[in-house]
Amino acid sequence: MTSSALQAQGLGLGYGARRVIDGLDMDLPAGKVTAILGPNGCGKSTLLHAMARLIPLQAGHILLEGQDMARMAPKTLARRLAILPQAPLVPPGILVADLVRRGRAPWRGLLEPWNAAHAQVCDQALAAVGLTDLAQEPLESLSGGQRQRAWIALVLAQATPVLLLDEPTTWLDLPHQMEILGLLRRLNRDNGTTVISVLHDLNLAARFSDHLILLGPRGLVAAGAPDAVITETHLLEAFALAARVLPDPVSGTPMVCPL
Amino acid sequence: MKGFSTLILLLALIAFLSLLLGEVRLSLADLWQGLTTGEGPGALTLRVLRGPRVATAMAAGAAFGLSGAVFQMLLRNPLAAPDVMGFNAGAGLAVILALAFGLMLPMALIAALGGLLAALLVGLISWQPGRSEPALVMILVGLGIGFTASGLATFFLLTLTDAEASEARRWIIGSLAARSWNHAAQITVIAGVLGLLLAVQLRALACLELGPVLAQGLGLSVEAAKRKLLATAVLLAAGAVAVAGPVPFVALMAGPLGIGLTGARQPAARLLAAAGAGALILTGADLLSRSLWQGVQLPVGVMTGLLGAPWLMWLLTRAFGKVES
Repeated sequence: MTSSALQAQGLGLGYGARRVIDGLDMDLPAGKVTAILGPNGCGKSTLLHAMARLIPLQAGHILLEGQDMARMAPKTLARRLAILPQAPLVPPGILVADLVRRGRAPWRGLLEPWNAAHAQVCDQALAAVGLTDLAQEPLESLSGGQRQRAWIALVLAQATPVLLLDEPTTWLDLPHQMEILGLLRRLNRDNGTTVISVLHDLNLAARFSDHLILLGPRGLVAAGAPDAVITETHLLEAFALAARVLPDPVSGTPMVCPL
Repeated sequence: MKGFSTLILLLALIAFLSLLLGEVRLSLADLWQGLTTGEGPGALTLRVLRGPRVATAMAAGAAFGLSGAVFQMLLRNPLAAPDVMGFNAGAGLAVILALAFGLMLPMALIAALGGLLAALLVGLISWQPGRSEPALVMILVGLGIGFTASGLATFFLLTLTDAEASEARRWIIGSLAARSWNHAAQITVIAGVLGLLLAVQLRALACLELGPVLAQGLGLSVEAAKRKLLATAVLLAAGAVAVAGPVPFVALMAGPLGIGLTGARQPAARLLAAAGAGALILTGADLLSRSLWQGVQLPVGVMTGLLGAPWLMWLLTRAFGKVES
């Protein structure tokens, strides 16, 4: 029996009078790789933002490792959960190493100077994403895939047990999507970090995730292991997509073939 | 940090020239004599005429530079600066209203309060959570408030007597004429204290630069941190306006010039560079305004206006070029 990293109970989310998500109950297992899937506009990113306490809840609760998130101090939360947004802003001229250092913010006291322990965490984060050699390069000079790895190093330096990522593979070509998803899974396997991403590609999500959450226009469609979630009936319900689901010849995970 | 040596050398050179040049030209020997013996024309120039003026220009310029750099970093737009966002026009309007209605308060205080009120108004009108382009809205509201205040100022200027109008002009354009050591000390202390306050907020600024989502993810209370930083920046501008008047364009130009000269990347270095460049611009513009034409002492604000207006136009063409591409 695995414990939960995040739990939603009777969750209601929306903007003003427009409810995007209503009465959602959901359990995201700790120490696993989870992908949140669904059609455009179904509230995937809204849900992710709510789990990082970036938007107010209209109803319900979110528990982080069993504790109500609403009552946590900002710094406490930032030491337990990190979020990488879809399009973070690039400070002009910033070097990769300096970007990663900013991930230590929640761990530093107001007047506490930078120390060797912080530097070590940052070095490890850079090594984990394979950017040690490019640490002194400006972020702007990096390729798209390298840049995304630098951002991941920043949230790794935050050293949280839970990591949320909003469409970490958008804008990337297929080899770089594979590289990023492989990297996230490796981080999960090596450190036990709970990785939760919003993803678009169903086949890659099924291949790289332990747990899937499939949302549709009317809320949660299915949750569980990829085999149980990616089925022809669920795809029809979530996306109104008629498709055949076959085993992926490489990994054996479900593969969607639209009709 | 090697880029900073250029900036420091330029600052020293401009300060040195500022002490030598002007209506009365000092020789090196005069200056040396004044420095070492405290007597002769050099001593008078150092102690009374140019010393306090140069010191005031340096500190006020640094305050303007810091203020503009914080605005530009927070709003992520090179067009952002208190001087183009209504602050200066608000300061000018407040002085003219005070003169027109016979309000007996120090002009410096009134100018600073007028600027603060304008800034507050810009904040109140443009602040709305969840707006998609909050920075751009704030800049445009600032421009609008600025135009309104200038229009009203021109209107009330017509009601003033000639003597009042010439006093008012100083507080519309900005001038460093007749500054004493008191002025220099005042702005040095204000800039120093607010500079320390900024230093404490540097990490918040570094997080905010990554965008609001990541900043909040890193444990920052985004709106509160932004408000504190903007308030510090506005107070820096108010402090500078109180001694130099609403000199235009120094805050706008200092950040890019400082970063261009030093190649500074980190927030702390960029703020330092902007402070240095602000001091350089204001002192340099003051030097030009009183030494370019023999016998003519222009207010420093005219000179920064002449330098700054083309800069602003260049920025605007670039900004709109980017939108179309």
